[in-house]
Amino acid sequence: MGKLIGQRAIASLLSLFGLMVLVFFLSRLTGDPAVLFLPIDATEQMKQEFRALHGLDLPLIEQFWRYLVDLVQLDFGESLRKARPAIDVVLEAYAWTLPLALITMGIVVVAAIILGSLAAFKVGGFFDRLISIVSLVGASAPDFWIAIVAIVIFAMGLGWVPTSGVGTPLHWVLPIGVLFIRPFGLVVQVVRGSMLSALSAPYVKTARAKGVKNLPLIFVHTLRNGMLPVITVIGDQAAAMLNGAVIVETIFGFPGIGKLMIDSILQRDFNVVLAAIMVTALAIFIMNILIDIAYSILDPRIRH
Amino acid sequence: MTIKHVLAATLLTTGLSAPALAQSNTDITVVLSEELDLVEPCMATRSNIGRVIMQNISETLTELDVRGDKGLMPRLAESWEDKGNGTWQFKLRQGVKFSDGSDFDAADVKHSFDRVFSDQITCESKRYFADTKLDFNIVDANTIDITATPAQPILPLLMSLVTIVPAETPIEFVRDPVGTGPYKMTEWTAGQQIVLERRDDYWGAAPAVTKATYVFRSEPAVRAAMVEAGEADIAPQITEVEATNPATDFTYPNSETVYLRIDQTVEPMGDLRVRKALNAAIDREAFIGTVLAAGTELAVAMVPPTTLGWNPNLTPPAYDPEQAKAWLAEAEADGVNVKAPVEVIARTENFPHVTEVGEAIVDMLKDVGFNASLRMVEVAEHEQYYSKPYPEGRPAQLVMAQHDNSRGDPVFSMYFKYHSQGTQSGVNDPKVDELITKASAATGDERAALWSELFAYVQKDIVADVLLFHMVGHSRVSERIDFKPTIATNSQLQLAEISFK
Repeated sequence: MGKLIGQRAIASLLSLFGLMVLVFFLSRLTGDPAVLFLPIDATEQMKQEFRALHGLDLPLIEQFWRYLVDLVQLDFGESLRKARPAIDVVLEAYAWTLPLALITMGIVVVAAIILGSLAAFKVGGFFDRLISIVSLVGASAPDFWIAIVAIVIFAMGLGWVPTSGVGTPLHWVLPIGVLFIRPFGLVVQVVRGSMLSALSAPYVKTARAKGVKNLPLIFVHTLRNGMLPVITVIGDQAAAMLNGAVIVETIFGFPGIGKLMIDSILQRDFNVVLAAIMVTALAIFIMNILIDIAYSILDPRIRH
Repeated sequence: MTIKHVLAATLLTTGLSAPALAQSNTDITVVLSEELDLVEPCMATRSNIGRVIMQNISETLTELDVRGDKGLMPRLAESWEDKGNGTWQFKLRQGVKFSDGSDFDAADVKHSFDRVFSDQITCESKRYFADTKLDFNIVDANTIDITATPAQPILPLLMSLVTIVPAETPIEFVRDPVGTGPYKMTEWTAGQQIVLERRDDYWGAAPAVTKATYVFRSEPAVRAAMVEAGEADIAPQITEVEATNPATDFTYPNSETVYLRIDQTVEPMGDLRVRKALNAAIDREAFIGTVLAAGTELAVAMVPPTTLGWNPNLTPPAYDPEQAKAWLAEAEADGVNVKAPVEVIARTENFPHVTEVGEAIVDMLKDVGFNASLRMVEVAEHEQYYSKPYPEGRPAQLVMAQHDNSRGDPVFSMYFKYHSQGTQSGVNDPKVDELITKASAATGDERAALWSELFAYVQKDIVADVLLFHMVGHSRVSERIDFKPTIATNSQLQLAEISFK
């Protein structure tokens, strides 16, 4: 297991470095930040001063070398827009994105496994119909529409939760609720499909013949075998969520990494873009390692 | 009856109430469309920063009455006098304290300008002094002489754009602004909120609002919903679709002017008849109340009617497609290539329904015979077409842009948009250059008359561009407070102007 993690970690670090080089040069292809930071009628002298102040007038390769030297000292540079260390800005935002992603995915996984298994156990039954409806809504209704409708109904109409913002646990209800629907719809269908084939295996019939009750049969005997494809989909969905949830963040005024990243790209705040992408990539690499570990726990053949 | 109404009725009958934030009756919450990157006084001319800082935390020497007719009013300067040779003497208000307890005096004024002009930070207000050098002579603690080279006749007006900070303020962007205003910042949680609280030791009258919390939501529907749900009191910049409740929603001119910039150096735009045809081809009235909000006005100048020298005799060009065709035929007969491709370049999300406006304009231009097409671009790409140096080998381009001037004087617009050296100018006309130079240096009635003459010359004589609309904005204000948004709300939101019903 240790060897597996070590190999994955080295591969991840190499990828991270490659990503950093790529983003550094690609982001600079988008143009001059001075044009966007300064007002449209700023003088050329103001633009030159801005570039000189932030080292943007240096040859690109020298900018890159300076960035690398700073980076090995864990200095990610300053945000041009916010005049603060870029890594502080990013970590502040990530401190909101990470719990949002983890809580949402936690609820998605538990709900999908329970409801998906029950749906597979009785095809066409209540749970099967329920998950079909939720999956359909998740796949077909756009997030921003669900979010606005949720605000109109639950915040303005019923007054159960605040419209937007952060601060109290109630503020998290709508963002999590809206984020939940799409990944749940997907994961629950995979659980259902996977459990359908697992439940038709010969050992299930044997277990039944031996008098094992329904619930232990599903959740103790069959679930582990049905989980491998489910883990893969959960990994995909969690990775998407660790990237931030731009629409949910925008509508609910949730200060996460998704909107920060988009804003920074649009405003050419290169250091924030780089720091955000590296932190996000690191989170995704760590999650992939966790997924690999989960695989090997679920299926000993992978371990050996 | 909408879903909202049904739900509101349910709400009333069930006695459920929206979770209003716990606050005293004189605390307010303002929901803004974008978060502030900086809360830095020298950036207060950037509208999103200005709305929080300007005259709330930090004050200026003078203040312009943008919506009324009081003109330039004293603020931290009690009076000013032209001493000749480019020197203005400002008498400063006495007994004023900064929120850190220090006294305000002439050294603070000098230091505030030192920061603005420093190359160690990029202060936005510096742009208003592009080619002007300022020298400061502190006569005594409450008197300062400011000499502009070359002489700057509107120096007192420019003083309304520079916020005053204490002399101890470092020359770097600050995160805890100190000012002389009626409020001080007590909390800034990045990504969430900024809180201002009323000062007890403010030199002027105590405002009614005791505490203002600013929160940020980029979705206009959510901003409007927050006021309706009682979570916020003022939501500037909601959309027309949301602005449906006459009791809470206000529509007002927002000081933005939309126009098509013509680059006269590219064929066929150098021909006056072609430019007249462009203007006559567009049915401006057809946009208002359809794709643009009712209340939008037709523009006859780059600046709104509240600006000095605005010319009341100018009328929008008549919509006359037959005349436009005739002008084009005449130009074509003289060898002008009127069939050359014309690109209308507009910026996505520049204003509500910008794409529909662009599409309609292109169709109208095609109707009279222009070979027009529309290109929608992002802000950064738009800037490449809008500002010099313009791309080499470009076809004829009409750049649709929105220009904001709520500063009261055309000087902030006319040089950049019409002078041959102006960054966004498509004009190269010696008379325009001369009028801009003369008007910029003139004062009083002469200044107004010269600007007035320039407005007429660019609109009627040389038809420099296609002036389209003075836009309107919409804001929602809770019924519990007494505040009417105006043209000034675009760049500042003075809490002192808010009271309670």
